[in-house]
Amino acid sequence: MNPRLEQIQLATRRYFLRQSALSLGSIGLAACRGEASASAASASGPSADPLAARQPHFPARARRIIYLHMTGSPPNLDLFDYKPELVRRDGQDCPQSHLDGKRFAFTTGVPKLLGTPHTFSQHGESGLWLSEALPHFRSIADEMCVVRSMTTDQFNHAPAELLLFTGSARSGRPSLGSWIAYGLGTENADLPGFVVLISSGVQPNGGTNSFGSGFLPSVYQGVQCRSQGDPVLYVSDPEGMSRSLRRHSLDALQALNAEQMVEFGHPETLTRIAQYELAFRMQVSVPDVMDISQEPQHVLDAYGATPGGASLANNCLLARRLIESGVRFVQLFDWGWDFHGTGEDNGLGPGLTQKCATMDKPVAALIRDLRQRGLLDDTLVVWGGEFGRTPFREGRTAASKVLGRDHYPDCYTMWMAGGGARPGTTYGETDELGFGITQDPVHIHDLQATMMHLLGFDHERLTARFQGRDYRLTDVHGKVVPGLLA
Amino acid sequence: MAGTSPTRDLRQPTTARSDEAARGGPGCPTRVSDGAVRVGWLLLLTISGLSVGGRLQQVTAAAPAAIDFNRDIRPILSNSCFQCHGPDENTRKAGLRLDRPEGLFGQGESGATSVVPGHSETSEVLRRVLSKDPAERMPPEGSGKTLSGAEVDRLRAWIDEGATFTQHWSYITPQRPRLPEIRNHEWPRQPLDTFVLSRLERESLTPAPAADRFALIRRLSLDLTGLPPTFDGAREFANDEGHDALDRVVDRLLAQPTFGEHWGRRWLDLARYADSAGYADDPLRTIWKYRDWVIRATNSNMPFDQFTLEQLAGDLFPAPTQDQLIATAFHRNTMTNSEGGTDDEEFRSLAVVDRVNTTMAVWMGTTMACAQCHSHKYDPISQLDYFRLFAILNNTEDSDKKDERPLLEIAQDATTVPILRELAGDQRRTTRLQRRGNFMDLGEVVAEGLPETLHAAVPAGPVSRRALAEWLIDPRNPLTSRVVANRYWEALFGVGLVRTSEEFGSQGDAPSHPELLDWLARELVRLRWDTKAFIKLIVTSATYGQSSRVTAADYERDPDNRNLARGPRFRMSAEVIRDQALWSAGLLSHKMYGESVYPPQPQLGLNAAFGGAIDWKASQGEDRYRRGIYTSWRRSNPYPSMATFDAPNSEVCTVRRVRTNTPLQSLVTLNDPAFVEAAQALARQWAADGGSDIDKIRRGFQRCLVRDPSDREVETLLNLYHQASQALEPTHQSTGESAPDPALALATVPIGPIPESWSVSARELAAWTVVANVLLNVDELFLKR
Repeated sequence: MNPRLEQIQLATRRYFLRQSALSLGSIGLAACRGEASASAASASGPSADPLAARQPHFPARARRIIYLHMTGSPPNLDLFDYKPELVRRDGQDCPQSHLDGKRFAFTTGVPKLLGTPHTFSQHGESGLWLSEALPHFRSIADEMCVVRSMTTDQFNHAPAELLLFTGSARSGRPSLGSWIAYGLGTENADLPGFVVLISSGVQPNGGTNSFGSGFLPSVYQGVQCRSQGDPVLYVSDPEGMSRSLRRHSLDALQALNAEQMVEFGHPETLTRIAQYELAFRMQVSVPDVMDISQEPQHVLDAYGATPGGASLANNCLLARRLIESGVRFVQLFDWGWDFHGTGEDNGLGPGLTQKCATMDKPVAALIRDLRQRGLLDDTLVVWGGEFGRTPFREGRTAASKVLGRDHYPDCYTMWMAGGGARPGTTYGETDELGFGITQDPVHIHDLQATMMHLLGFDHERLTARFQGRDYRLTDVHGKVVPGLLA
Repeated sequence: MAGTSPTRDLRQPTTARSDEAARGGPGCPTRVSDGAVRVGWLLLLTISGLSVGGRLQQVTAAAPAAIDFNRDIRPILSNSCFQCHGPDENTRKAGLRLDRPEGLFGQGESGATSVVPGHSETSEVLRRVLSKDPAERMPPEGSGKTLSGAEVDRLRAWIDEGATFTQHWSYITPQRPRLPEIRNHEWPRQPLDTFVLSRLERESLTPAPAADRFALIRRLSLDLTGLPPTFDGAREFANDEGHDALDRVVDRLLAQPTFGEHWGRRWLDLARYADSAGYADDPLRTIWKYRDWVIRATNSNMPFDQFTLEQLAGDLFPAPTQDQLIATAFHRNTMTNSEGGTDDEEFRSLAVVDRVNTTMAVWMGTTMACAQCHSHKYDPISQLDYFRLFAILNNTEDSDKKDERPLLEIAQDATTVPILRELAGDQRRTTRLQRRGNFMDLGEVVAEGLPETLHAAVPAGPVSRRALAEWLIDPRNPLTSRVVANRYWEALFGVGLVRTSEEFGSQGDAPSHPELLDWLARELVRLRWDTKAFIKLIVTSATYGQSSRVTAADYERDPDNRNLARGPRFRMSAEVIRDQALWSAGLLSHKMYGESVYPPQPQLGLNAAFGGAIDWKASQGEDRYRRGIYTSWRRSNPYPSMATFDAPNSEVCTVRRVRTNTPLQSLVTLNDPAFVEAAQALARQWAADGGSDIDKIRRGFQRCLVRDPSDREVETLLNLYHQASQALEPTHQSTGESAPDPALALATVPIGPIPESWSVSARELAAWTVVANVLLNVDELFLKR
């Protein structure tokens, strides 16, 4: 059984019947105020509907998440995990012991070891090692909880990204954000509970699966918001339709629907009526929250954001605006982190420095902004890719002037900040060449379990039944990592 | 789990709602519509009546006379015990297996007997679940499982009553059941109704009155063809007093070419048909000939056994026809991964895994995925069974290559379709068991074979795909006929007799009407898998023909209509919602078959990962208005308006679509340019037909909802028309700057300029567009009623 879901569903039905009795009369007019109103949510009873705000299993450290996904997987050895020994042995043959029994995406034979072309230095009170490609991260070093011992099972982009976001390398499971929306609901009924922002012009590797709801109802899927065009698909009225005309037409629609409700007694019609009212409010609230031109210039400057554009910087600022408005989970995807060295832009030299320049400034600004607004304590920020990159030059570009690394699942770096993650921490260690974890491995399922823990969930108990089995984000794996908790 | 308290799982319809109904908060009372107030009062009255009765009740069956193992006991064991004491030998604790009589009635390692029939006091199972000692108590602490007091009581009663053990119901070949006794002999039209009525009488319920003829023909047309009837056609049926009027109308609908498009679409969900290959770059794939094959086979009423044989093994027929080869594209709908740096063998192996899972889901209602990595925890399917099936499907020529070979060239259409082709003798692959489902961690060699525990009539000798197909449709196969019959039922009633239509194993729901299900299953076989006849059987029943009106009290008692005390009423599929809007507007193209088309969709300005733009250039001419089944389906980016209405992305087999009700759907039908265009076209229809304003509104109701409007409904829309007309009055701004004319935009974007010969004003057309936009959003339109 799935008692919780069952309870929600029963409660929903009952709730609609009751509430409709009490307030259907005013429904047509809910929005006659014409403004989005978060306070309207107070009218809702406890756990009455799938998106009502709900309490997790135990008191949460984090109430919301901003997840920054660097699609393609940034090179950990050139950004966070400093390996002087690898630099010393740059150009030497990769020891056979590190190749035996392993598969690589684009490398066969014996590749050459590759020391980073970047310089590293230590920052903050914690002495965090950072590449010079990330100058803005220095200011947030003591907020960061860096995990150098991440490990995954997949070395191709799409399966690895699905494993990261859904707990399974195959399609069809709910994504992290949809589990959270399912578990926590939303704090602002006028906005989706789970919002997705994409920059650099390319979708995630898993397509919409990376933010899909799998077998959970689609109310839990990520809603893609855009800073150009309609911020949410079809949110704009048809050309020529004014807001007041839309209001008139909705009043007429609701009257017709109410008539049907009387005639057929089908409560689903009440739900439909409610959805139209919510849609009407979203038509105002979504464009409003997505309008970064409302921000003062110094904030725009801090992020490097430009109203009207579509960039990671804009999306970082939007992420803050969205969580401030009560969105539970904001998922960013930024394409262009697949550093194979097949072109200058994905080379480890200037290519990486340039790419980082579009990222570290807004991300650092986001952390500082959250801190300043008192939001960082209960907002968990997570940063990372879907796997790591090899300590050797990848096969295809081995002879090129441009340096590149192949995909590598065995060890890589991610970091978190805020929301109960231990600040100023470097967790886990890899060997002197960066081929394997020597201390405190954190599997992707462990990271998922830990994120769930910070949100107040026992990852083994947040389940949903499908095809006769109780599924969860962490599949049948995952352990909370105490060393990552503040 | 048991019929008395049906499990709710996520795939049940109408799961997702928002609480927005109540979020209205205080509004200005002067604008409350009368209709809304009436609803409020109606519900207040009915609900206060209910609250006297106390808490919300599930559908309750009459108290069972005796404990039934499958209904009452197996679910307890399956949920709480099988994880460690079930079919999976690797996780089995203490060597104890409670899913088999040997284990249940035998002695465990401790020497104690698990279940002593007639003696709960000496049965170890009961002692352990009651034990206060945490070291002894079952289920153990930390397992996350507990038994309720009621469950313990049931267990005790079962043991004391003699502990009868029976195999899981769905693994026993169904027998044609005898008709149950009933009191009301007037109502049933056929045996199906007798089974339904028997349960209603047992629960002291009475069937709803018959639906009115207009409602019935709309229901029938939407169910059989996915499109509504014309009002004239409906009126003709309503006035047809012939005793065989229903028969004739059903025959006529079953013969429509639109039948194959509607029912073919359902099959394509199972076949995970899409126009792209999947994974990150998700390149387009040319496989539409398979879609056309499904439509044709459905329209020509190919018997389901033949339909099965051709799709699973058409290539193995002696001298297969072109069509039989095209049919094998069923299993070429698996994804291929053309991301750089992938191991082709890994993804070829995954495609075979998908074929095993899909085959068993579609025909056997059995979730096999677990057994890929370990023996099933709840059902008697071992990992070896899994790889025996895998071996059957592991010897086709296709691999994970981008070119999709082998392809069948189809000269007359200048196209190709990927097909199955069996590998020749010396190229054949040896299948090995994959430890923990890892294709690189190989174990023993496994020969082709079938899971005999599910259905023992296994052919001798090596098992080919053809033999697999024959085994599936063998009349003695306990699952296939039930699974298929249940799916038809689900399509027509919204919920299957087995709610978990994808899972008939011990973790699935028990059927609400077990005898009816078995009767239908046998009937399907007796009809020689004639699916049109089978559909006709159901839709001409008194059960199907009931009115779907419901009181709040009855709705609360049985929200999903499991008792079948009323007619079906539920939200229709994404495709039907779209097709119906286009049809109502007179825009729908009836062109059939051919390459998939690209109706307009919003430009997203994004590329697929490692792939091309996900935006497309919209088709021109009538291809913009083809039925949804012809819309190009890219797995990573399914057509957004249909995806919003729960159309699956088709990466894997979808047995049951979710039905949600979300605000994003409202935005689609209000604002998607395709729906706005439909409203504009409808408005132009009215203008062209002439007549009074009231005539226009009446025709709108007749066209869209297949009924006449009430006076109040006419008044509501008439008021709206006047409001809109007023709001769209041209304003002359003092600046002299001519702002774009809203009326002109609303009348022409995106449908195009008003024909020059028309005398109607843009403002009038725009105002009617507003009315039509409302009519195309009425909830009734999205529902079967």
